[in-house]
Amino acid sequence: MEISAETGRARLVRVVRLTLIWLAIMLPVAVASVQRASPPAPTAVAAQGAVTARVAAAANAFLATLSDAERAKCTFGFTSSQRTGWSNLPTGAFQRNGLRFGDMTVRQRDAALALVAAALSRDGYQKVTDIMNGDEVLKNNRGGRTGGRPGGAGPGAAGGRGSGVRFGLDEYYIALLGTPSATTPWMIQFGGHHLAINVTVVGPNNVMTPSLPAAQPAKYTLNGQTIRPLGHENDKGFALINALNAAQQKQAILSYAVTDLVLGPGADGKVIQPEGIVASALDTRQQALLLDVLHEWVGILNEEAAAAKMAEIKANLPRTYFAWSGTTTNGGLAYYRIQGPTVVIEYAPQQGDLDHIHTIYRDPTNDYGARLVVP
Amino acid sequence: MSVRGPFVWFAVLGVWLATPAPAGAHRLDEYLQATRLSIDVERVRLEIDLTAGVAVAPEVFASIDTNRDGQISDPEGDAYARQMLRSVVLSVDGRPAPVTLIEIRFPQFREMSLGVGTIQVRAAANVSATGAGRHQISYLNTHRSKGSVYLVNALVPADPRIQIAGQQRDPAQHRLTLDYTVRADASWARTGSLLAALAMAGVLGITRRPRTNAAGYRATAVTPAATGSVAD
Repeated sequence: MEISAETGRARLVRVVRLTLIWLAIMLPVAVASVQRASPPAPTAVAAQGAVTARVAAAANAFLATLSDAERAKCTFGFTSSQRTGWSNLPTGAFQRNGLRFGDMTVRQRDAALALVAAALSRDGYQKVTDIMNGDEVLKNNRGGRTGGRPGGAGPGAAGGRGSGVRFGLDEYYIALLGTPSATTPWMIQFGGHHLAINVTVVGPNNVMTPSLPAAQPAKYTLNGQTIRPLGHENDKGFALINALNAAQQKQAILSYAVTDLVLGPGADGKVIQPEGIVASALDTRQQALLLDVLHEWVGILNEEAAAAKMAEIKANLPRTYFAWSGTTTNGGLAYYRIQGPTVVIEYAPQQGDLDHIHTIYRDPTNDYGARLVVP
Repeated sequence: MSVRGPFVWFAVLGVWLATPAPAGAHRLDEYLQATRLSIDVERVRLEIDLTAGVAVAPEVFASIDTNRDGQISDPEGDAYARQMLRSVVLSVDGRPAPVTLIEIRFPQFREMSLGVGTIQVRAAANVSATGAGRHQISYLNTHRSKGSVYLVNALVPADPRIQIAGQQRDPAQHRLTLDYTVRADASWARTGSLLAALAMAGVLGITRRPRTNAAGYRATAVTPAATGSVAD
């Protein structure tokens, strides 16, 4: 009996020992693989697939309005350098490719805008048109000047004179990269002054990074209505920072001024070290406010794609940071940045001008659908 | 300077003055100096983007185009980059790390005149003695501090062994101090894991072996007669 008990103990020790060795070997593997995201539900994929079909149909309808020469001017290879050839600058300061709105017929313009509307949400499309109308206001009311060199041209001067820098609704461009399809990758590039919308379509997936919605003026009146193209971005940002307690604000508020976008046009592929307060240090209500801020950018894209993106962002929320620089009083100057594993958003008033806002929306892992497109 | 130099310069200035200052998305009266640092085990790379606003672009251009021919020649560009980098002080663990110019690119004159052209300076410093452990990098840029605004950021290190632990800046972002750690080499880490596993197995083996011996001792102890020597 005693010998039997000893054998049992020996077995136990051997099992414990083997388990520990197995754990020592397998634990790093398990830790490395735990980050994988779960795939979206089949119904969500089907809904996104339907959106892709709708957007592709709108793209083909637009292409059908073009002559051969216009089509040649408007279309590019999916992998061409045109993909990264976007900017927030006005015509004249940056040469866009594609078809210029001012060179289109009314029918073509309508078809182009119908394509943009098909790819975006209702609110997103409204935001885009508010930004464009703002540039028309800038052209008409200010002549494109906001200050700067003393003795320079006065109001009405820069809207199309001399330097060739031009503003307004005619100066927006549309380009298609690749062939509109429900299966193979293609891209819609739409933009002009203060606007760059890049929608990459890969099967059922629609990706809107990188994109740059901006505004100048930040507030204007059109048909008796006050328009603030990026008003929600401003107000929700201030609501979030003011929802933090003093200790949280201390972590979130940077000790230095940020006067411009850090990851603006041309900064593709750059990932900066995150700063500010990590979202895991926020309570449920504060996290909801943070997601609400993020949705202002994510929700520009159609609802189905935006929902998938928000789910991804939510899954990564514990590793998402919120940083703030400037006053916490709404109406004053402030910059903020939200940075997570699959999202970067910056909100940056320009040169101390509350009436001139730049923002950027990126996904360091999926700009231009990089994660989805097989090279 | 050639005889035609001043005339060309006046022509450039004339074009400049005739260029209306355009609207938003352009720098106006500031010189934006944006730096990104990337840390490697043996090297620190600097990407410095310089964008002069329309109001300061003539002054910046003049400081580069020293022969005033309206063009930025390679030697002029090179000289400006080196002058700029002399205003940059980089140190690693308190020791100066001399910064070497790798490349400089200039925008078109017209882009600069519109306040949208960006001068791109790329530089690097070799870092010799940053083995595994904690380290600190300090970056300071005082180039044209009057009328300039600064951005300075660290990129997430491409090497997973390097982890940035802290960042401190002055309010104007002239200075960035980075605390970071370098883990031991990955192959050493793997070897370490294996050694740890073997050590664990060894410890378990050792702890088991004395038990077996003790049991054997007890077994003989209960039959002292068997030894035949206890009574002696």
